[in-house]
This record gives sequence, structure tokens and C-alpha cells, in this order.
Amino acid sequence: MSVTVLKKTSILNTPSDNLVLSSRANLAQNILAWIGQSFLFLVTATAAMIVLFIIFYIAKNAIPFFQIQGLTEFFTSAEWYPSGDPPAFGVLAIMLGSTLVTLGAIVVTVPLGVAAAVCLSDILPFSISQTIKPIVEILAAIPSVAYGFFALVIFAPLLQEEGGRLLMVGWYLLAVPFLFIITIVISEMLTFKITHESSRKTARTAALFVLGGSFIALLIFVGNTLGNLTITTGTNALNVSIILGIMALPTVVSVSQDALQAVGRELRDASYALGATRAETLIKVIMPAASGGIFIAVLLGIMRALGETMVVWMASGNAAQIPSPWFNYLQPVRTLTATIAGDMGEADQVTGSSRYHVLFAMGLILLMFCFLCNLVSEWIVSRQRKKLRGEN
Amino acid sequence: MTQSPATNASSIPSTANIEESQKIAHVTAKDFSIYYSSKEVVKKINLDIWAKKVTAIIGPSGCGKSTFLRSINRMNDLIPGCTVTGDLSLNGTNVYGKRIDITALRKTAGIVFQKPNPFPKSIFDNIAYGPRLHGVTRRPELELVVEKSLRQAALWDEVKDRLPNNALSLSGGQQQRLCIARSLAIEPDILLMDEPTSALDPKATARIEDLISELRGKYTIIIVTHNMQQASRISDFTAFFYEGVLIEYDQTLPLFTNPSKKRTEDYITGRFG
Amino acid sequence: MKITTRKMLDRSFSSFGLFSIVLMILALLVILVPIFKRGSTAIVFNGTVEHRRFLLERFERGDEQEMASEITAIQAAQKPVYDMIEHFENRQRKYLDALNEPLTKLAKRSDSIGRLTKRRLKRLDKNKPFLTNVKTIQKLTDRLKGHVDSDNIQAEIEQLDATIQKIETQTKNLVELKEAIRELLGPAPGETRPVLLRKQYGQTRWDRAQVKLHEVLYIEKWDYSNEGMGRKVFEPRVEHFRGTEIEPLFDYMETNTEAMLRPQLTFYWGFLTDKSMDIHIFGGIFPELLGTVYLTLGAILFAVPMGVIAAIYFSEYARPGIIISFLRICISTLAGVPSIVFGMFGLAFLLNGCHLPKGVLAGSLTLALVILPTIIRSAEEAIRAVPRTYREAALSLGASRWRTVVTVVIPAALPGILTGTVISMGRAAGETAPIIFTAAASVAATLSLNPLQVWDQPTQALSWNIYNLCTEHEAANEIQHVLFGMTATIILVVLFLNLFAIILRARISKKLKGETT
Repeated sequence: MSVTVLKKTSILNTPSDNLVLSSRANLAQNILAWIGQSFLFLVTATAAMIVLFIIFYIAKNAIPFFQIQGLTEFFTSAEWYPSGDPPAFGVLAIMLGSTLVTLGAIVVTVPLGVAAAVCLSDILPFSISQTIKPIVEILAAIPSVAYGFFALVIFAPLLQEEGGRLLMVGWYLLAVPFLFIITIVISEMLTFKITHESSRKTARTAALFVLGGSFIALLIFVGNTLGNLTITTGTNALNVSIILGIMALPTVVSVSQDALQAVGRELRDASYALGATRAETLIKVIMPAASGGIFIAVLLGIMRALGETMVVWMASGNAAQIPSPWFNYLQPVRTLTATIAGDMGEADQVTGSSRYHVLFAMGLILLMFCFLCNLVSEWIVSRQRKKLRGEN
Repeated sequence: MTQSPATNASSIPSTANIEESQKIAHVTAKDFSIYYSSKEVVKKINLDIWAKKVTAIIGPSGCGKSTFLRSINRMNDLIPGCTVTGDLSLNGTNVYGKRIDITALRKTAGIVFQKPNPFPKSIFDNIAYGPRLHGVTRRPELELVVEKSLRQAALWDEVKDRLPNNALSLSGGQQQRLCIARSLAIEPDILLMDEPTSALDPKATARIEDLISELRGKYTIIIVTHNMQQASRISDFTAFFYEGVLIEYDQTLPLFTNPSKKRTEDYITGRFG
Repeated sequence: MKITTRKMLDRSFSSFGLFSIVLMILALLVILVPIFKRGSTAIVFNGTVEHRRFLLERFERGDEQEMASEITAIQAAQKPVYDMIEHFENRQRKYLDALNEPLTKLAKRSDSIGRLTKRRLKRLDKNKPFLTNVKTIQKLTDRLKGHVDSDNIQAEIEQLDATIQKIETQTKNLVELKEAIRELLGPAPGETRPVLLRKQYGQTRWDRAQVKLHEVLYIEKWDYSNEGMGRKVFEPRVEHFRGTEIEPLFDYMETNTEAMLRPQLTFYWGFLTDKSMDIHIFGGIFPELLGTVYLTLGAILFAVPMGVIAAIYFSEYARPGIIISFLRICISTLAGVPSIVFGMFGLAFLLNGCHLPKGVLAGSLTLALVILPTIIRSAEEAIRAVPRTYREAALSLGASRWRTVVTVVIPAALPGILTGTVISMGRAAGETAPIIFTAAASVAATLSLNPLQVWDQPTQALSWNIYNLCTEHEAANEIQHVLFGMTATIILVVLFLNLFAIILRARISKKLKGETT
């Protein structure tokens, strides 16, 4: 075959040397592309570096406080009198307040949130869980100041007047079914090893009665105690914990739902095929497999509750004191965020004072904690990704 | 217009009639290899593709035929880790040489993909996209180009009244012809087609094949196909790829009737692949 | 375990899941229903004639003639009340005048009693309020009791003292009553207009009028007879005026309140478009709404270009590597920064560091940082969701990478980007903590409608003022409807933005599929 390569033939539309750029044009194009990419990178890097800048700036403003006042008082004293003479900057009570409301919120939100996520991903039919999703989204969208308003104007008076009875109803609602199930399960577990059929039955009935009786006594005792409780102020740690719990709910629900759904059909099928019930499948197979994601959900919930300002500022009572006893949720508390929000107005009048810098020290603690949570969740994600890659 | 594939096949001029002197090599591959990371997927191909002819590339899945096709206008550049060795020249210019203007290259060698991929824009804007890129901005000029391209793609009569409509409202076959028209609008020399009918129903496939027959002689067409009947119906030349190696390359009629390689024969007669 | 127990556990597990979902829905209802229900009363309520008068006088809305005839009607209805009061006052004056004679007699005495009386009587002045004069005499009789030396005069003085005591109590009661009536009906005819705006009008809302009517009819007292907390008790005010001209007043007022205030179902859309007057006692929440709009738009203006560019870089250009994963960690950390820390940063960096004034610009910048991660994330997701084939098609036609991004990828990703943007707008509109130090002011001039003039102005904002009004307003009880209305408004703004985002997403993705033209 004779091969003819024509450079400029009449039957080809474009002369082929058009394909090659002159070296100048090529250079221009390369430079342009480089400039464009660098610009994009610069903007992106700026956006990303903001967080470092924030950490730097908060730290820069926090360090003078430690230089002037040292670390001891800040971390070990509960005396918070920033405008006193001499001023006292003990943040222990405030940190305890933050911890209390965050813990309370987690106690409210995690069981409910994970249960709701399980329900949405595995129990309810797809169409219903799709219709419930907007409700979760609405809960997430409501501004925090509206939650704070609700907590202060509606919930606090209610808690103050009807608090004991509300708690009692809540206790019965949760404890009755729970204790009922526990009774049956424990009595079965206790008598599981008895081989003789009829003696097992008798033993089981006896165990049921003994356990059931003691649980009923406990139920009524706690219920009555709660019912007779008088709550002196509605703006307390309990109020804030419940509201923060509701606020953190959407995060926990959607993140753990994603984690549960990521587990995949196969594991579920395998478990069902071995005769496990849905609860057993979920508890023993799916939830352990999704535990990383659920843990991240809890972390995000903690971050949301700890970092929330408006609700705690409005409805926690803002008393910088350690409740007595320290776990008493019915007393007012004060949190880091609320202190920053509330005191900055006065402290900023004298920029550069200890009073101004101590608030930044608090902000730094918040920031560091959130940073840590973030790193942990980042680490979990990457570990999971590695695990998945390893399995494939 | 609706010709059955069978009648179409009979209308193909005997490739044996083509004189040697008419042959102009449009695409030339010399020891051309393509690697994904370190895996060689196209192995040292030597091949001349003749200008203004329809060349079909056949072969079982994963034999590197699509990869080869996409390397002609360097669409493979988008795949991370894809490298080439050897020489692939278009009209005598090494496509992988220095200072290649990829924009001009892709304007010279248009490509139609497996699945129709119109932009989510109006029919008009789809066709006009290429010309606008290359500097045609005046509306009357664009209208001319759009009409010409749509006529060439045999789509004009069907869509002339709804040019402002969204291209995604067309049927699959129409979308594919729209994509062909879109490629034609930038006036390429070469039309690369990567299994253009694999996502279409038989009727739409027939339309596209008709269209290819109409475009024969105006463009150099390289078509990758799974479908051997299609290759035999529409192409002048056929190249058979197997596991990244060019096994056989000849005029279509001889290749299908009298393959010189055992593998080719096995594939054509359906013993593997 | 027995199979029945296992089944029971399974069921209870499922029901706990359902229970938590029901609880979630209930929580949503418990929070939203009262806020919306009471919030709606800011706009739809029974407005009294005072409301209409206020609108006419302050905002020049309404019909003057109609107003005039209405005022005639209510004045007619109110006349008996003021007449009764006047009669009562005249009666008290007469009682006081009757004391004149014995007092002048006392003043004529030459001893210390006479001197004291004379001195005191000089202080009496017809122009002074009646109660002041009464008190002057009361003090006199009080002092005189200490100077008494002979028995016959002691009886006289004690009688004087008793009379003046009675007049004083009655007058005091009357002043209290008049004050209560003024709060309900507004200033009495002929009274000089008070300076404070809230004292110039009676109750504008029928529900508040009921409360004030109750205050007219009953006196609130605290009963501390029980140990511990006191208990509120209400004592009918009429008991103070048994057997006087005023006794029928209470029945009259109770039965004729409607005639005196003429409540009417009112749709007060001005709640959203009027400025507030006398710190939200009257008027609407326009300044807050406008401030929120400015802050939100400002935040979007700064965050969206940056966020979209970063998203383009991450999805189209970035090669995976250490630098990129570092940048990603940075951005996810930014998403986890507590909002109050953003506020501190804004204060320390923008205000104290860069010397920006506290105002819309500083607030917008701070809010932009808050929403930046969300925008980057949603834009990146949207860009990644654009089919690869679109990019291939554009590139195969000879478009450069940047051209492809601008002409094909971004338009196709636009619904996703817009959705993220609108949802971030909701977030920015609802945030409070970042603007406390950087932009928010409890009381400030309403912003100008010209965006160029507002950047250095501190502003009210819905979120901030909800906090501020319900914790710091001196009459928070009086403006409950404003508080609820404001909260309902901010929730609705955010929900509408979210809804808009959902509709947008649905519509444009439909368009992408070619279902509409």
C-alpha cells in the first residue's frame, strides 16, 4: 500500500498545521491557564484558611489573659466576679454549666435520635419516611433564637408551674414499658439454665413476681417524688437540656440515618436469612456496622449543643454557680457561650483588660473542643474508608 | 427516508473499486500504545485510516477500541493516569506532540458518544454551542450553521418548529442525531463515533446508519461498534481489535468474507466475544 | 430466649422507634403551634378605635371623617364615666371646702397651733393638684395632734384629721382608678396630652383592653398569709367606692367597654411594613425585617462567589493530595466552629483589628463566614452531580476547561447551587450570635433603603430583637403579640426560604430532564 500524506490537500477542510500552536501562543495559553488555576487555588485556600485565622485570632486575644492571671484560677475556681474588686475569673462553674447542659442534651437526643433514624431507615415504609424527612428538616431550620424564645416564654413558665407533674408523666411514659420489658427479659435470663420444664416455669413466675413487684415499687416511688417536686425557676439546666436536645435531634437523626443506610442490603439479608428478628438484626448487626457513623452523629450533636448560644443565654438562668448538688438540673446554670455573649458588651468597653481577654480564653476552649471533635470524626471517616477499601 | 438496514447494506459500493491513488492517510498510528496507570490497554498499533472513508473498529468489549478512538482527539486526557507512547498523527501532525492546540484538534475531529449527551439547553443552543466557542456570534450566521447542521443530520424537518425547546425533550434517536449535528456544526474533518447506536432502539439505529451513509465521502468517519452487521453495512474499512492489539485491518468486504486471521474469523462467526 | 419474648422485644424496639418519631413531630407541633397561633395575632386581631386613631394620626392611614364620627360615638359612650368621676371629684372638693371654716378658725388662734395652721394654709393653692392640697392639710392635722394642749380642741382636731384622712384615701383611690381608666381608654377629654407616646393612646388591642379592664375592676394584691410564696388575689375596686357617685361606674364600664372602644376585626399588615413606635408598643417590625434582609443579602454576596469558586476548584481542578485534604479538613472544621466564636472573631478582627464600624458590613462578613462551609459543600455536591457526559460533550467540541465549567457545568449545577444558597440564606437570617457584637443594635434608626448608605450603620435584626425585647424590654408583657409575631415571622422567613429551595430544586431538575420547556 502506498501511503500518501498530504499536508494541504483540497479534500481536507483544515490545513493540518493549524493544530500546532506557535510557541508564543502556546506560552500565552499556558500562562493564562496557570494564572487562572492559581487564582482559583488562592480563593479556595483563603476560604479554607479562614478557620486557621480564626483560631489564631482567638488564641492571640486569649493568651494575654493567661499571661496576666495565670492558669490556676481559671480552671480551678468557681468564683466568677469579673467586675468585682479584685475581679475573680474562675470559670469552673461556667464550664460545669456547659458540661451539664451538653450532657443533658445528649441524654435527650441520642436515644431518640438514633431510634428515629433506625425507624426511618429500616422500619417505616419508604414513602412514609420520605414524608417525615421534611419534619426533620424543619426542626433543623428553625432559628436558635426561636427555640430560645420558646424555652423562655412558653416552656419556662410551664416548667415552673407544672414541672413536677410533667416530669412524672414523662417518667411513667418511659419507665413503664421499659421496666416491663426488663422484668420479662431478666426473669427469662435468670431461669434459662434450668433444664426441667415445670420447675423452670415456676422459677420464672416467681422471678417475674419478685422483679415486677420491686420495679412497681420503684416506679411509684420515683413517680411520686417527681410529682411532688416544686421547681423554683423554669429557666434552669433541665429546660435548656430538653430544648438543646430537640435542636440537636435533626443532626443526629440525619447523620445516623445515613450511616445506617450505608451499611447495605446484603448484611441485613444475611442476618434475616439466619432467622434473626428485625430488632436483633438492627442491634447486633446493623448498628455495630454503623457505629462509626452513629458516633459521628453523637459528636455533631455534642458540638451543636455545646456551641449553641441563644437558647442557653435566654433560658438557662445565667447563674454562675455550681448547682447543689452539682448534678441538680433544676437549678439555673451559666454556660461558656452565654457568658461570652452576655459579658462581651461590657468587657469590650475596656478592650485589653483581663475581662475582655478572659472571654476569648473561653472561646478558645470552645473552639479547641470543637476542633477536637471534628478531628475525631474526620479520623473515624478516614478509618472507615480504609476499612472499606481493605475489604474490597 | 426509512430504509431498512438490509437495503442499506446492499447500497454500499464495493470497496474493491476504490483506487489506491485515492487513498489519503488521514490518521496514522505508529507503534501507538495507551496505558491506564501502568496497564497497557492499546498495544503498539500501526494503522492508517483513510480520508473520507468510513472505517469501523470492531472487537469484543474491553479490547481497547473505544480507548483508541478517544485518543484521536485526546479525550483520554480527561482520564487521570492515562499515558501514551508511540506516534499518532492526524494529517501528518503528531497529536501528542509539543504545543498541540487541543481546542483546534477537537474542532478538527468531532466525536459522538455512546449515549446521546445533549446539553440541558435548547436545541438551537446545543448546535450553536460549538460555533459560538469558535467565534461565530452573530445570530443570522448561527441560524445558518444550525440549519445546515440539522439538515445534514437529517433532523431539520423534525425539529425546525421547536428550536427553542429543551433538547432533552427529544427522543433518544433524535438526541443522538442532534449530537451528530452538534459535532458537524464545528465543521470537523473527522467524525469519531463511539458506539453511537448502542443505546438506541432498532428504528433509531437505522436512521443513524442512514445518516452515516449520507455523510460518507464528506467526512472521514471512524465508528466503533459492537455490532458486526452494522460494521459490514456501513463501513468501507474495518479494523479488528482484540485485547488491545490490532489483529486485522482491511476493506470491509474482504475482511468479513475472507478474514486472513483465525481470531478474526472466530469473532465474526461468533465463536467468542 | 423464647420466641415470644424475642418477638415482643422486636415489637417494643419498633415501637420505641415510632415513639421517638411521634415525639419529634409532637415537639415540632408544640413549638410551632403556639408561636404561630399567638404570632398571627400581631396581624389579625380585634383592633379598638385607639388602634385606628393611632394609624390615622401617626401613619396617616384611614378615613378622617369616619374617625371623627367614631370619636363622637366613643366620647358619648365614655361621657358617663368621666361625668361620674367629675361628680365624685366635686364632692371631694366640697368636703375639703367644708374644712375651710374650722381651719381658718384654728388659724386665728394665737398659740403655736394657730401659727402652724396659718403657715400651712398659705401653701394651699387652687392650681396645685387636688391631692397635693389634701396632703398638705393632712400633714397639718397630723402635726397639730402633737401640739394639742386643751381637751376641747383635741376633739375638734381629731375630727378634722379623720375627715381629711377619708378625703385623702378617696382621692388616692380615685387617682389610681383614673390611671387605670386612662390606660384603658386613653387620656380623659380636656387632659393635657402626656409626653410619652404610650400614654397618649388607650388600648389598641381588644385582648389587651380586657386585661386593662380587669385592672380597672379589680385591685391586684398579694396574699402572704400562707407561708412561702405569696398568692395573687383580686379585690373588686368597687369596694372602695361603695355608696359614692362612682359605684355604678364599674358596672357601666364592664357592660359598655365595647361601645367605648369599638373593637373590630383588623388585619394589620402594617405589622410587617411599619416602623416601631415607642419601642414596639405601637407599630410594626419593619426595621428589624429590613436589617435582617440587609445582613442576609450581604452575607450571600460575600459567601456565594467565594464558595462557588472554592467548589469549582475542589471538584474540577484539585488533584487529590495532602494539600487538598488539608484544605478540606479546614473547611469541615470551619463548619463546626460555634457561632458565638464567629461573633468574637468578627469583633476582635473586623472591629478591633480592621477598625470597621459596628454595622451591616461587619455583620454581613461575619455571617458570610458562618455560611461559607455550607455553600462550598452544597455547590461542590451540585457540581459533582453534573453528568460527566456534559463535560465530555463540551470538551469534544473544542471548549477549554474553564469554558466548559462556565458554559455547561455551572448552568447544569445551578439548581443545586441555588438550593444551597437559599438554605444558607435561611441560616444567615436566623443566626443571632455572630451579629451580637458586629452589627446588632437594640435601638437604632431604621436603615435607609439605599444599600450604599447602610454599610456602617448598626441595625436591628429580627433574631437579635427577639432576644432583646423578651429579656430587656420594660413592658415585655404588653408586647407579647409583637414578640410572638416577630418569632413567627423569623420562622416563616426561614421556612419559606427552605420551601423555595425545595421548589426551585424540583422545578429546575424537571427542566433538566426536559419535562418543561
